[in-house]
This record gives sequence, structure tokens and C-alpha cells, in this order.
Amino acid sequence: MLTTVATLVILGLIWGGVYLLMAEGLNLIYGVMKVVNLAHGDFIVFGGLLALTLFETFGVSPAVSFPIAGLLIFAFGALVQFGVIERIGLGRPDAELRTLLATFGLSYVVANTSFLLWGSQFQSIPFLQGSIQLGTIAIPEALLMCSAIAFAIAIVVHIWLTHTMLGKSVRAVAQSGLGAASCGLDIVWLRILAFALGSAMAGSAGALLIALIPFQTASGSELTVQAFTLIALGGLGNYGGAFLAAELLGLVEVFTQYLYGSNAASALIYLVFIGVLVCRPRGLLGRVGRV
Amino acid sequence: MKQRYGEGLVFAAVLLVGLAIAGFGTGYQAQTLFQMVMMVLLAVGWNVISGFTGYVSFGQVAFFGFGAFAAAVAILNLDVPWYVAMGIAGAAAALVALPLGLIMLRLSGIFFALGMFGLARIFQLTASSIDITGGPMGTTVPGAESPNLTAIVAIGITAVAVAITYAVSRSRLGLTLMATRDDPVAAQAAGVDIWKAKVIAFCISAAFAAVAGALYVWNVGYLDPSSAFAGTIELQSVLMVLAGGIGTVWGPVIGGVLVSLLSTFLWASFPMEQQIVLGVLTMAIAVFAPTGLMGALRQRGWIRRAPIWGPPLAASASPVTTTAVPRDAGGAPVLTCRKLSVRFGGVKAVTEVDLDVRAGEMLAIIGPNGAGKSSLFNLMSNFHRPTGGQVLLDGQPILGIAPFRLARCGIARTFQTSRLFRSMSVWETVLVAAASVAPDRHEAVRATTEILDRIGLLDRWDDPPDLLPPGRQRLLEIGRALALKPRVLLLDEAMAGMTLQEIERVHDALRAAIARGTAVVAIEHVLPAIAPLAARVQVLDFGRTIAEGIPREVLRDPIVVEAYMGAEYDA
Repeated sequence: MLTTVATLVILGLIWGGVYLLMAEGLNLIYGVMKVVNLAHGDFIVFGGLLALTLFETFGVSPAVSFPIAGLLIFAFGALVQFGVIERIGLGRPDAELRTLLATFGLSYVVANTSFLLWGSQFQSIPFLQGSIQLGTIAIPEALLMCSAIAFAIAIVVHIWLTHTMLGKSVRAVAQSGLGAASCGLDIVWLRILAFALGSAMAGSAGALLIALIPFQTASGSELTVQAFTLIALGGLGNYGGAFLAAELLGLVEVFTQYLYGSNAASALIYLVFIGVLVCRPRGLLGRVGRV
Repeated sequence: MKQRYGEGLVFAAVLLVGLAIAGFGTGYQAQTLFQMVMMVLLAVGWNVISGFTGYVSFGQVAFFGFGAFAAAVAILNLDVPWYVAMGIAGAAAALVALPLGLIMLRLSGIFFALGMFGLARIFQLTASSIDITGGPMGTTVPGAESPNLTAIVAIGITAVAVAITYAVSRSRLGLTLMATRDDPVAAQAAGVDIWKAKVIAFCISAAFAAVAGALYVWNVGYLDPSSAFAGTIELQSVLMVLAGGIGTVWGPVIGGVLVSLLSTFLWASFPMEQQIVLGVLTMAIAVFAPTGLMGALRQRGWIRRAPIWGPPLAASASPVTTTAVPRDAGGAPVLTCRKLSVRFGGVKAVTEVDLDVRAGEMLAIIGPNGAGKSSLFNLMSNFHRPTGGQVLLDGQPILGIAPFRLARCGIARTFQTSRLFRSMSVWETVLVAAASVAPDRHEAVRATTEILDRIGLLDRWDDPPDLLPPGRQRLLEIGRALALKPRVLLLDEAMAGMTLQEIERVHDALRAAIARGTAVVAIEHVLPAIAPLAARVQVLDFGRTIAEGIPREVLRDPIVVEAYMGAEYDA
């Protein structure tokens, strides 16, 4: 009994790393643009299936292919920001609504494209099948590996945001676009960078995720909600909160899955989501965060 | 008037053509028509919540699937005929939407949109676990005998739904929904019960979607969770409304017909790429033509929305009723603040402020930036909750009374920054406030005419507010507040940015209001703007009252001079 609980706790905490990477990209985009990319989950799926193709044709493992998936989605994200979201004109009264509707359409475009390329069946990459024994507790190597990479990416991006000139410029745009522009920053370019980077994080997360759980082209919207739940739980744009939320969600998910099965686990995500939004609309830490 | 007949005639003609095809067409034609009409019904429902109310939902399919399952369960379990099952589905959805709306409508923007998406998934998972409908695999349900019958029924129901939407858009509810969508805070200040309006819209929208779902299951005779809650249905209804024009009556109908035609073509030629095409279209419309076809026509001036309850009465029919109430400056105060305080975190915005204002007098509140003037107003109109002290209206504490109810009971306010309703005309802006206190439509129209006449905007009654110069916009806001027939009028820097002529107008309107016994509390930066009317002035600084008295004396008070100019300044 105790071993089971301990195993579940450890697994949950490790899963948190993957969740964190999934959510962090969305968080960055929301923080800078105050818009939510509803195609985020479809980017994750696309990145994952891309890694699958790389694995099947060249035998590249996800641990190597995640930057490739990330880079490709980075370019696509830049294109979306430049070609779609910049055209809407952020800051106008109907901008939020229009961005939502545009990315809602985009989500179907990306999902349908994945479907045409990869079909609709559940797919996964067999990766590091063994597990590490910690006393009586067994931890799958793949999970440990992917989680470590995910944490590393999230941390690197965080350091980039807080300790480099370019990262600080992105944060300046997040806090006040007008202020940043009047300091001479090219905010259009910075917004494209932020959106592309957020998308790239989604793509990398997908490449890691598909090595852990199988998913299909239609899983995108579910992943979007999952990622959004995390950042809503953590307080939109709040990094510490997102980390806390990711760990919490990892635990909740692992426990529910173990106790009640996977159907209940996916229903729970939505219940948690609605519950959080209604009861704590500002997130767990109770303040509106910044990037 | 002419245009409204036109709308009805075109709609009736389309209905007749539709009924003719449904009645005499081949099975394939009737079936195609049914699909189209069912989607129009869904679009009309989505438009009620997302267009009229502004709460964009990505989970309208939740109620579509709910209706499909409710109808199937009713048919299988209770063995009722299809039309009863449809009624049950619609009623059950409206009933379920009531508590759900009370929860979900606390969210807004992206939160509501995604929350509804989550709700649809929860509904789908729940539906997958119902045994009588075959769990995740689905089941057959006794369906209709002929596609012609389903098409005729679908047309009939959808026509009724469109008629209901039309009626709503022209009613008091439609007026309040528009105000709620444009600016919920200003709507409450205008006496609108935004909760009631939103929840009613949510229930109507849910019922429409559920009936569409019931039609669907009756038509195909088969039901499974993944098709009843399919994302493509959601995408199509969103696109139909966007293409036609969100928030309009006819947009969803026109867009529905167009998108359904496209969708039928896609199914035949590009069944695999359908979502790409529809998705790209949605993106393109959201980016380049967010107001859709109706919006494009309106921009060119080819059509326009007829003003609700317009036009104003002829000038002679609305005699200005000035029942002069004698000044009652010695009587009991109408509005009283006792040791009123509020703090935000560590900031004490208002500290132990006492204030009295009597019927038929004006009290001016002045003070430098950040003195707590606007916070004081938010406390007096219940938009903020005090952390200490209380506000009394006629000796009764106002704590806990919803802002909209307070507005109806007699405390009207304006805002420091202009808060007008973007999509409503000058006429409707005042009408929405007048309608929330008037017993009937006639009285609301009369009161609105009178107010517009008094503030000199009667000749521009049909213009959108953003065509007015800034000073006139402020004047319109004062008119909106006056339409509540307030006993206390709170003016927050109402005269900032006005020309001298406009200030004259405001003074006239205020003199008339004061003469009729209204108590006015006016915040101003610059005292001269209101000094001619104010009987007393109270000066705030750092949230405290530092001086009060008659204007001439207060302005010479060294403490006041210091507050404005700093200590060194020697007056």
C-alpha cells in the first residue's frame, strides 16, 4: 500500500515536468500577447507525430528529435503570428474574440493536416522500455528521461527570459507593449519571437509526450484544455504557479488513473478546470502574474 | 418600417421555397435540405449566447449532444412519439442550462469559451456511460419514415426559432443583452440585471441546440457519443454565424445556408480535407471580416438595424414635465455616508469619510489626483464593498444590494472614463436605462424622448455614440443616468473635456433635475465647472475629508490650497 502510494507520488511529480513544458509555451504566448492559442494542443500533436516519422524513417529517438520538431513548429508559429494574429491588431476591443475564433479555426486546420499525414489511429514511439528500481519502486526510464529534458527546456527558457537582454525585452512587451515600443523595442518582431518560441515548446513537448503515451490526431483540443488548465490554475502568465500546478495535476492525474481508470482521469481534468476557473479565477497563488 | 416588412417577406418566400422542396423534392434533396436547416437552427442557437450576449462558446455541441441523448432516452425508455421527445429534449436542456449558466457565466472570454468546451467533453464522457443508448458504441433509435417529413418539421421548428430570436432582439431583453455585451459595468449602472439577461439567453440557446440534436437523432435513426458531440458540428456552427454576421438576427440564417451548401459540396468532393477548408475560412473571416456578411452590408449602408422601440415621439407629444419640488435643504439627507472606509491591500483609498446630501441640493467633491474621489463613488453605488462604515439611502443601509437594483432604487452614476455602449444608438443608450425603471414600453419611449430633448441630442437620436464629439458623449452618459429618474445622481468628472456650450447644457439639465428634488453629488477636478450650482463643497485628500463648506470659503482655506499646491505655495 505504502509502496503504491509512494510510486504514484513519484510518478506524478515526474509527470509534472512534461505537463510543465506543455503549459509553459502557452503561458509565454498568453503573457506576451494576452491571447490564447487554441491550436496549442494540435501543435503538440503535430510535433509528436513528426518525431514519430523521424523515428520510423531514420530511427532517431525522441531524445534527439525533439529539437527538430521544436524548430519546425517554431517556424510555423512565427508564420501564424506574422500572417494571422498580427493582422487582427492586438489591443482593439474585439481582438480577444477574433484571436480566439482565428486560432479555433487554426486548430482544425492543423488537426486535419496531421490527420491527412498520419491517419487517425493512436500512435506512440517505443523508447527506453526499461525501468529504474528505487528500492521497491519502479520508475520507467522513458518517463524519467523525457521529464528531465522537459524540465531542462522549461528552465533554460526561464533563464533566457530573466537573464538575457532579448528575454527581458520579451518580458517588457508582456508588461506593456506601448511602454516597450516607446523604449525603442521592435514589438512586432518580439511578439513573433514569443509566439514562435511558445509554439516550439509545444512541438518539443509533443515529441517527448508521444514516447510516453500514445495519442491520435484528434487529441489536440484535449491537450489544449489540459495546458490551459495548468496556466489557469497557476495564474495566467505566472511561472512559479504553473510549476506548482503542473506538479499538482501530475499527481491528480496519476492517482485518478490508478484508482478510477483513464476515462475518469480525462473527465477530471475538465472538472478541475471549471472548478478552478469558477472558484479561483486568479489561480492558485491568487495574483495575476507576469512573465 | 419598410425594411422590416421586407425582411419578413424575404424570409417567408425562402420558407415557402424550402417547404416546397421538402414536400415535393426527392429524398436526397429533402435530406440535404434537412441537414442545412438543422445546422441553421444550431447556428441560431449559438448566436443567441455568443452573438447577442457576447459569451463565445466552444461547447455549444454539449447541448446538441444532450438533446440527441435526451430524445433517444425518451423514445427508447418512455416510448413517446418523436415530437414529445423533441419537446422533452428542449425543455430538459433549458432546465439543465439554468444551474450550469449560473456557474459557467461567471467566467468570461477565453475562460467561458474553453470551459464550455470542457463541459461538452464531460457530457460526452457521461453519455458514453449510459447503458440504454449502448454506451460508447451507440444504438439505433426509431427514426422518421421519410426524409420529406423530417425536412418539413425541421423547417417549421427553425422558422419558429428565428421568429423567437427576432422577437428577442426587438424586446427589452434584446436591449439589455446588447448593453451587457458592450459593457457589463455600465449596463449595471443603467439598472440592467445582467445575470438574468445572460442566463435567459443561455437557456434559450441551449434549448435550440437540444432541439437540433433531437431532430438529428430522429432523422438518422442512430446515435453514438462521438458523432453527437463531434467537433465538426461546433466548427460549422461557429463558421456559419461568423460568415453571416455575429450578433445579428439574419446573419446565422444566411451564413447557415451558405456554409451548409459549401459543406455539402465538400462532403461530396473533399471529405478528408473538409476541416481544413472550414478552418481556413473561419480564420480568414476572423481576421479580415469579423462582422461577416451583414456587417459588410451595414458598412456600405445598404442595410441597417432598425432602432429598438424607435423612433422618438413627436416633440408635441412629450411635454416636458417639470413638477417643481420645493427645495428641501433642511430636511433629512437622502444619502449619507458614515465613517466610510475602503482599503485595497495596504492602500487606504478612503478613510472614515462622512457625507450627507439632501434632496434638491448639489454637493461638490473636489480633491487632487488620487484623493479617493472615484473610490468613494464606487462605494456609494455598491460597485465596491466598504471595509468599514456604511452608506445609507433614506436611512437604510445599501450594503448587499446589487448595483443594478441600487440604480433602479434611485442611485444613478456616471463614470470617470466614458463608458458608452459601442453597438447601440444614442436612442437605445438612454432607452436601456429608461426601460429598466419604466412600467411599460410607452412610458420608456416617452421618458427617453424627454431626456434626449433636454440634453439636446434629440436630433441625433439614431446616431452611434462614437460619432458624437467627446463632450456630447459625456452628456449622453448623464442622460442615461437621468433616465433612471434618480433620487441621487453621482457625477464623476462629468464635465471634463467639455466646451463651454456643452457645460451650459449640463448645467441646465442639472438645474432641472435639482429643481425636481434630485440630490446631486459631483466630483470635479476644477471647481469652477460646478461652483455655480453647488451649495456645498467637500474636499478630499489622501482619502480623508480635509475641508467642507460653501465653495467661496473652502477655496480660500489654507489646508485646501496646500493640498493642491503643496506646502510652500503661499496664497
